Amino acid sequence: MKRAFTKWTFLLVIMFLTTASLFGQRVISGTVTDAESGESLVGANVLVRGFDGIGTSTDFDGNYSLEVPQGAQTLLFTFIGYADKEVALSVSNLLNVSLESGTQLEELVVIGYGSVRKSDLTGSVSTVRGEDFNVGIMPSPDQLIQGKVAGVQVINNSGAPGAGTTVRIRGNNSIRAGNQPLYVVDGVPLDGRSGRPGLNSGDLGASADANPLNFINPADIESMEVLKDASATAIYGSRGANGVIIINTKKGKTGEPKIDFSTSVGASNILKRYDVLDGNQYRSALEQYNLRDDNGNLLGDEGGNVDAMDAILRTGITQNYNFSISGGNSNGNYRLSAGYMDQEGIIIGSNFKKYTASLNGSYKFLKSKRLGVDFNLMTAHTDEQLAPITSNAGFQGSLIGQALQWNPTISLLNANDPTGFRIDRGSTTVNPLAMSNAYNDNANVTTILGSISPSFKISNNLEYRMIYSLNSSMGNRRSSVQPWINIQGIQDRGLANLASNQLITQQFTHTLNYNKRLGGGVNFNGVIGYEYMSFANRGFGLTAQDFIFTDIDMTDALNQIERSGSTINSFRDPLIELQSYFARTNFNIRNKYLITATVRADGSSKFGENNKYGIFPSVAAAWNIQEESFFASNFIDQLKFRAGWGQVGNQEFPAGAAQERFAFSPGGVSLVNVANPNLQWESQNTVNLGLDFAFNNYKWFGSIEVFRQVTTNLLFNFEAIQPAPATRFFDNLDGEIINTGLEIDLNYMLAENSRFRWSIGGNLAFLKNELQNYFGPAVETGALFGQGLTGALSQRLENGQPLNSFYLREHLGIGENGQSILTDDGDSFFHLGQPNPTVLMGVTSNMSYDNLTFGFSFNGAFGHQIYNNTANSVLPIGNLGTRNIDANLIGGSVQEARSNAIRASSRYLESGNFVRLANVSLGYNFGSIGEDIKNVRLSLIGQNLLLFTNYSGFDPEVNTVNVSADGVPSFGIEYIPFPSARTVMLGLNFSF
Amino acid sequence: MKNNNYFYKTLLLTAFALLVGACTKLEEKLGSDISREQAQDLFDASALLQAAYDALQLPLQDQSRYWAAQQHTSDETMGPTRGPDWDDNGIWRVLHNHTWDAEHDFLTATFNDLSRIVFSTTNVLQFNPTPSQAAQARLLRAFAVLALADGWNQVPFREAGENLLDAPRVLSSAEALDYIVSEIEDIMEDLPEGPAHLGNKDAAKVMLMKVYLNRGTFSNRQSPEFSSQDMQQVVSIADEIINSGKYALASNYYDNFSRNNSDISTELIFTNQNLGGNRGGNIQSRWFCGLHYNQRPSGWNGFCTIAEVYDLFEEGDVRFSAEYEGVTDVSGLRVGFLAGQQFDEEGNALKDRNGLNLSFTKDVKLTELGTNLEITGVRVMKYPPDLITQDPANNDLVIYRYADVLLMKAEAMARTGDFGSALAIVNEIRSARNASNLSNLELDDLIDERARELYWEGHRRTDLIRFGKFLQPWSEKPASGPERLIFPIPARALAVNPNLTQNPGY
Repeated sequence: MKRAFTKWTFLLVIMFLTTASLFGQRVISGTVTDAESGESLVGANVLVRGFDGIGTSTDFDGNYSLEVPQGAQTLLFTFIGYADKEVALSVSNLLNVSLESGTQLEELVVIGYGSVRKSDLTGSVSTVRGEDFNVGIMPSPDQLIQGKVAGVQVINNSGAPGAGTTVRIRGNNSIRAGNQPLYVVDGVPLDGRSGRPGLNSGDLGASADANPLNFINPADIESMEVLKDASATAIYGSRGANGVIIINTKKGKTGEPKIDFSTSVGASNILKRYDVLDGNQYRSALEQYNLRDDNGNLLGDEGGNVDAMDAILRTGITQNYNFSISGGNSNGNYRLSAGYMDQEGIIIGSNFKKYTASLNGSYKFLKSKRLGVDFNLMTAHTDEQLAPITSNAGFQGSLIGQALQWNPTISLLNANDPTGFRIDRGSTTVNPLAMSNAYNDNANVTTILGSISPSFKISNNLEYRMIYSLNSSMGNRRSSVQPWINIQGIQDRGLANLASNQLITQQFTHTLNYNKRLGGGVNFNGVIGYEYMSFANRGFGLTAQDFIFTDIDMTDALNQIERSGSTINSFRDPLIELQSYFARTNFNIRNKYLITATVRADGSSKFGENNKYGIFPSVAAAWNIQEESFFASNFIDQLKFRAGWGQVGNQEFPAGAAQERFAFSPGGVSLVNVANPNLQWESQNTVNLGLDFAFNNYKWFGSIEVFRQVTTNLLFNFEAIQPAPATRFFDNLDGEIINTGLEIDLNYMLAENSRFRWSIGGNLAFLKNELQNYFGPAVETGALFGQGLTGALSQRLENGQPLNSFYLREHLGIGENGQSILTDDGDSFFHLGQPNPTVLMGVTSNMSYDNLTFGFSFNGAFGHQIYNNTANSVLPIGNLGTRNIDANLIGGSVQEARSNAIRASSRYLESGNFVRLANVSLGYNFGSIGEDIKNVRLSLIGQNLLLFTNYSGFDPEVNTVNVSADGVPSFGIEYIPFPSARTVMLGLNFSF
Repeated sequence: MKNNNYFYKTLLLTAFALLVGACTKLEEKLGSDISREQAQDLFDASALLQAAYDALQLPLQDQSRYWAAQQHTSDETMGPTRGPDWDDNGIWRVLHNHTWDAEHDFLTATFNDLSRIVFSTTNVLQFNPTPSQAAQARLLRAFAVLALADGWNQVPFREAGENLLDAPRVLSSAEALDYIVSEIEDIMEDLPEGPAHLGNKDAAKVMLMKVYLNRGTFSNRQSPEFSSQDMQQVVSIADEIINSGKYALASNYYDNFSRNNSDISTELIFTNQNLGGNRGGNIQSRWFCGLHYNQRPSGWNGFCTIAEVYDLFEEGDVRFSAEYEGVTDVSGLRVGFLAGQQFDEEGNALKDRNGLNLSFTKDVKLTELGTNLEITGVRVMKYPPDLITQDPANNDLVIYRYADVLLMKAEAMARTGDFGSALAIVNEIRSARNASNLSNLELDDLIDERARELYWEGHRRTDLIRFGKFLQPWSEKPASGPERLIFPIPARALAVNPNLTQNPGY
């Protein structure tokens, strides 16, 4: 296998190199730049007037060198988006040219191991530039593009500061392997995991994962590209199936050194509350149900009027400071930046601090300037204080559940208790304010991403580049729970957890990039490359109980513990190694016909012995119809048809899954995994058709795309054939996950003159998801949590249904006896909904009038359901008399019986449709103040100001990332999450 | 300049080719796990044998596995839905009213976990075990095979070294019993004499007694036939155990189940060991499952027994209700059956969360709807809670004990017509438990005595089937169809092993 690749690589290399030739009498060379910015233009055409077919294009640095025939008088410089320019030849052989941009600046789009002009794109790639990013509190980059790209869904998993997101590009493509896209930062593909250790404190449950992108300061990001179809992602091979998000950081620009400074301060409050009873409503509900104790007093009424949610909520203040120095000259550029963010969560005891510093630069060496070195160092430290809010808490709940359930007639405080809190020891009802005080959970993660990338221009057409990167993420976590809190298993004992995790990713990439203008107006670009990556993950954890002295942080004094009260564990995952060979060719034929072909061969240490390498090809073509002579229209500026096919893979399954493994347990060893030498990647075939258009002088522009993605070889941890060591093992199943969709992106410049500019843009995607040709047993997932729901599952993967289809009892209403009426008395289950949105939309508008700017953006999702696990198990009618209930349960036409069972049913399945006013910003550009302070801008930002939804929970966009016991991810279930916030923010930017 | 270019080209291409050539072989290392060879080097079979013993913990000790399959399907145990609590998607109710299906999570998990014991024990044999270790592993394997044959009538089975990706063969229950008998004959000599938490000679003998006593049931569960040959085997093996003089009925019945039962009980023949605070299974579920939230220790307010079993007892029988030192004096909690008003250690009457007196009632419905839904059903406290070490507790799980041997002997004698000798044995037990002597004995008295002596120990389903009573109606359960005598093969197991066939009626 390996030999075949090597041979094939050589062939390509030789092919690239044999095109060198020389003829003509005179060599003209120079640089083509943008007249406004001075930036060099890559791929600009240089033609000799009157000599058809003789010409070249500029290289990566805008340089060209052209041998012109005798008799040549004039050179023609053209570049899409720029006005053509003719320049007469003089005596000098040096000819530098600057081109004026047209109405639409031609963008360079980073597509993985290179970049192309936007007009040369053949695949489905969306770019979001810095000025179009969402604004507000943005702890991590994925939130910047929420609602900005058609077909991309970004869900905040939790309202907690720094929490992870669920990103779905064109729907769910996998049952068991990950569905998160691959992130690539300045050419460095990321691991995709956070170094923050997880924590699972018994009945308290596991806290939400941290966002693996937290180490990136959004203020350092220039633009982000979303690679959606396989013709674009196939260059990433076995990691491309869920789409790729490329993050490009800001670089220094040629010119005087510049200092940019920005600061903002914001205040956040809860966006939406659960409607629970207040003290008076609670008493009247007790009266309505005539709940009295032996003395005839209302049951559980202590006469107060307490809002426990208020007691744990606060206005969270967020401060953000960013500072950068940048500059450059003809030899290179640099940018140094630092950022500090301090975000208070809207729940007491939650806080997220982030410190970032980065330095990047790009320099050229040697007299010939052929040697270049790019470097990038990003460092970040996050320091988090976490509230006891988890996604799979047992019946004693987590903080949010405890607050929602708190009997509103009972005071949270008790002066007679040594803790000062009302604590009913022996009772299972937990005081949220006391819980918050008893809990101390701190996590910090230090991340370093360093890369160095030397390049060498072997000839004007051929460049070699190497990237070495090291990404280290180290996380520590210390948490403790005081023994005076009445949590089963913790009361009178206390609990302390220490954990540490370390992720290290290394990368070596070698590429050869060849650009050549061939005869007949054909431009050729070719890339071949080799890449090696390794991913390491290791960590340890320690749990201790039964403390003697607890007035200090218990994690600081573990020495007092008896050995029997502690457990220790550590792990090191098998090192994942990925070795790849890849190639891409682009042909541009007279700017009319564009052909791209890519192939990547990925070998992974994770794959089984018999399937070490996978090959992922793609081809795509585009036709710039407006370039055709027969298509002479002054009205239509662009009309481009694209078609692409490709095959990509998904290898997000645990390391070691293909191998026989024995694991240690105290004093023993046991076989934990069965070898599966055939284990391989999940593969996905995609067909994408697109139409890009612009007309009326770029007043209207946009694109329409249709796609069909078929995932096969479904990776799944399948039922082991008993007798077997583990109950499950990883295998590739027969079956197809089919995602089809239509995406529309449309932008309109409503007004544009010297004083007033108003643009509006929108995206809309229609998505359909279905599992087909799967004939195995139904796969159950969608674990529900809380009292009365132990082991209850709500979702099922079954042939002919969307992934994670809700499979539930059908609730028909409340009967005369106050009991739920269920179809077939609840003995039958039905597919009653699904959590995957079928329509996604986003609308953004920006306007400016002189120095005043105003912008807003909406996003929304439709056609899906959310399971309200919170209403199901936290606030049921049976709580009345002891704990609080959902206010909607009172005042209906039929009185629901207190004994009505907590059952999973369609009663708690709610429409997830929503439209959100995600962003409003109002800004004023003061220009310069005095001589030194420039670009002064003051802005007022509203984030999450309005939410239109019928969903009764905190936020229809909250996804509780639970996994069932079998590890099949669930989707679209809400269970007492950290609530979402609404923020108002004031920002100031200026530069020197 | 040109020459320079060619020089650079050649240099870089050479470098590139070298780098491409110098590629990794992508051999995966195992991180913190180890390979079979390393495991075989590092560990002798004792470590794997320990893992095999540990593999008993989840299926035998947890409330949601083998115990649920044996108890919740019987008249001894009920998991009522208490209004908003304990619905759990009906998973407990369908066990009680015999409407489970092939997708029942707990039955599926029990099948898988018991099969995993078959695997872990077989795996020991690949690690050069000593004869004693091999014998213990094979005894544990026989135990799991017996439980699978009892529940599912089909036993997927592999020998050591078989490819785990291939579907294994399946033993019928008759084949399984023959296999167990021949295995035990084969290993008896090598088994240790004790202690009870190891697979020992006496444990093997009790297992053989179970095989002979139930053989006629497994071959025809609807109308069991008992051959006198089998019954004589039961009696003669029982006599071997009795005559060894190693065991005696405990002076305090609850010593058999207390936190230090391994030290003080005189009845334990086979147990699953728990080392309190250190390692063990979920034995504490035995008391948590029934205790009310407001009792100490605070429980889950779930399972109870039903009137039919509660009414079998007479006052004074210690097995019915007693105080236990270290529990009653510390938390107010009695042992045995908890009925009526409950008190704390100072004698104060406890209340439930609705403000009602915490007074457990005999009557209970499978779905409780009234305001008294927290207090219905008599709770069962067979294992005196370990109030010293928790999570895990120190009480060893009792699998086989001496009183069972005596009762099986009595049953075998009765089934061969010797009711007189059977009565003597029953009365020997009854007097040890402070219950009045029976004057005469019928077969039905034997199953009732088994309930009084062995309640909640995981024998009831098998006993009811053997006595032909499993399909009869009882509280909150109508008469059930004959298919219920065997559990369905789990749908997911059926999907991956074509050698399994679904049991009739499912």
